Amino acid sequence: MDETVAEFFKRTILKIPMAEMMTILKAWDFLSENQLQTVNFRQRKESLVQDLVLLCEKKRASLNDAAILDIVYTQFHRHQKVWDVFRMSREPGEDIDLFDMEQFKRSFKKILQRALKNVTISFRDAEENAVWIRIAWGSQYRKPNQYRPVYVVYYSQTPYAFTSSSQLRSNIPLLGQTFETHNSTTPLHERSLGLDINMDSRIIHENRIEKERVQRVTQETFGYYPQPRLEFAQYKLETKFKSDLNGGILAEREEPLRCLIKFSSPHLLEALKALAPAGIADAPLSPLLTCIPNKGMNYFKIRDK
Amino acid sequence: MDSCDTPESTPRQRASSRLKDYFIGATPLQKRLESVRRQTSFVPTPSRRKIPQCSQLQEDVDPQKVAFLLHKQWTLYSLTPLYKFSYTNLKEYSKLLGAFIAAEKQKGLAVEVGEDFNIKVIFSALLGMKGTQRDPEAFLVQILSKSQLPSENREGKVLWTGWFCCIFGDSLLETVSEDFTCLPLFLANGAETNTAMIGTWFQKTFDCYFSPLAINAYNLSWMAAMWTACKMDHYMATTEFLWSVPCSPQRLDISYAIHPEDAKALWDSVHKTPGEVTQEEVDLFMDCLYSHFHRHFKIHLSATRLVRVSTSVASAHTDGKIKILCHKYLIGVLAYLTELAIFQIE
Repeated sequence: MDETVAEFFKRTILKIPMAEMMTILKAWDFLSENQLQTVNFRQRKESLVQDLVLLCEKKRASLNDAAILDIVYTQFHRHQKVWDVFRMSREPGEDIDLFDMEQFKRSFKKILQRALKNVTISFRDAEENAVWIRIAWGSQYRKPNQYRPVYVVYYSQTPYAFTSSSQLRSNIPLLGQTFETHNSTTPLHERSLGLDINMDSRIIHENRIEKERVQRVTQETFGYYPQPRLEFAQYKLETKFKSDLNGGILAEREEPLRCLIKFSSPHLLEALKALAPAGIADAPLSPLLTCIPNKGMNYFKIRDK
Repeated sequence: MDSCDTPESTPRQRASSRLKDYFIGATPLQKRLESVRRQTSFVPTPSRRKIPQCSQLQEDVDPQKVAFLLHKQWTLYSLTPLYKFSYTNLKEYSKLLGAFIAAEKQKGLAVEVGEDFNIKVIFSALLGMKGTQRDPEAFLVQILSKSQLPSENREGKVLWTGWFCCIFGDSLLETVSEDFTCLPLFLANGAETNTAMIGTWFQKTFDCYFSPLAINAYNLSWMAAMWTACKMDHYMATTEFLWSVPCSPQRLDISYAIHPEDAKALWDSVHKTPGEVTQEEVDLFMDCLYSHFHRHFKIHLSATRLVRVSTSVASAHTDGKIKILCHKYLIGVLAYLTELAIFQIE
């Protein structure tokens, strides 16, 4: 057996609490009753795990078998995860398709494998026409990371799919596409809800359009690549006070306000980039800040024209 | 709770009366119940305060004697009333605290004293450090290192200083019996471990309780406005604000310094009520600073956290640190801090 697969088995079995060990292994249904009986379940956990891994090796367990075990474990521990809920919307007048689980699995796998070079996809059917899908992502040059998989639970007779939260948010649209292509529905609307909250369609993202605009403008301004590392920027302002809201304040004053503004941060440009999406700044951000990389300056003197 | 007979007042009414109005005409129990109730509801802090003036009592204070209090960073605590504290026993307390510290050192708990100096504890009264005659006398505790060499200055180096005061503490004074001494504001300078140790001794000896006094953004804004309002002959320091931006992947600090004359001009343009500072004026003053900043940078400072304000009168940090720069307004600054301390105790 491949070393990495053996390690994966070891770590997956090690995760299982002793009290649940027998139950989960039985549910996994890879090692037979007889085989399980040959193992001493009363020994220390490390030794037990070793014995079990040896058994798996003897039986020529594959990476996929390990992945299924991982799914079983997660099914038993689903409450430890945070799930995002997706709802597929249907155009009015569309017929309800006859759903073929096997065909779905085939096309799901095909689409993902076509889009991504290194990916492990495993399926396990569950109660109520649900299918659990486990996806381990890699990259163009890296094998899939089996220790950070994403789970998707799809209830085939409903428009709902659950995904376990993942650091790899960028892959969510791809998942959406796999559903889209299979079901030919309109794009998914994302709702982030806890697993046991009733799916209330009245809960929406407020200001979605504005949020999207801010994201777009921020991307346009700052680009997709990491910002150059900068720790501070300083602005010497000598400008008159002008305010529409606070009319009359300092109206007669000819002299400008003499101010010195200093921005400091371990990574200033990243921090500035996050301001508009967080709602702390307007988008687009002021050119006084966004010009820093272009001009290659971080000390400025600003006067009224 | 319903035994409390104090009249029901709306949040609006409560906001516009001073703290002490609550305590007039109510029994101690009623006062305690009322203050407990207030903690769980809308915060009724005053909507107007007097601009610090040079108080008459302060005229008696020798500037030389209090010079050591200025230009030092003090960490603030609120302190509950001291039980059976006596000003005639200051020498006794010096000895007792000295012995306590020596014992702690033996246990290996007293660190940061540097070399193994002998230390000396001095309790002394701080005369004139009060708002009204009714305020209890302030007192000072100092830990000095006692040098072994006779040729050196006998007094030695000051390792730690702490002082206890009460400036315009009427609202608290009215609630306690004679066995208690109310000095709700405690300021400490020196190693944190020493502060903790001395705090323990006070808590054990006088059955009191220290609590760190944080200053929130609301009060920092008030301080900035009030200190900008103070009349100054000349400015020693620029007026500066420091904001910290929350929900940022990286820490981001924004420092906004404005020439003190310009800050004063802005304040004068905002200020309408002579001799007093109102909530509306504070809000407008801060709003002007925010809008001037926003005009240039498109950033809403009001959505960030005000962490520090600094003027020629004093500077204050949200963690409960203060530095007083101006002798003239020492009492005024302490009065505000006393108010915050009393509010925290109740």
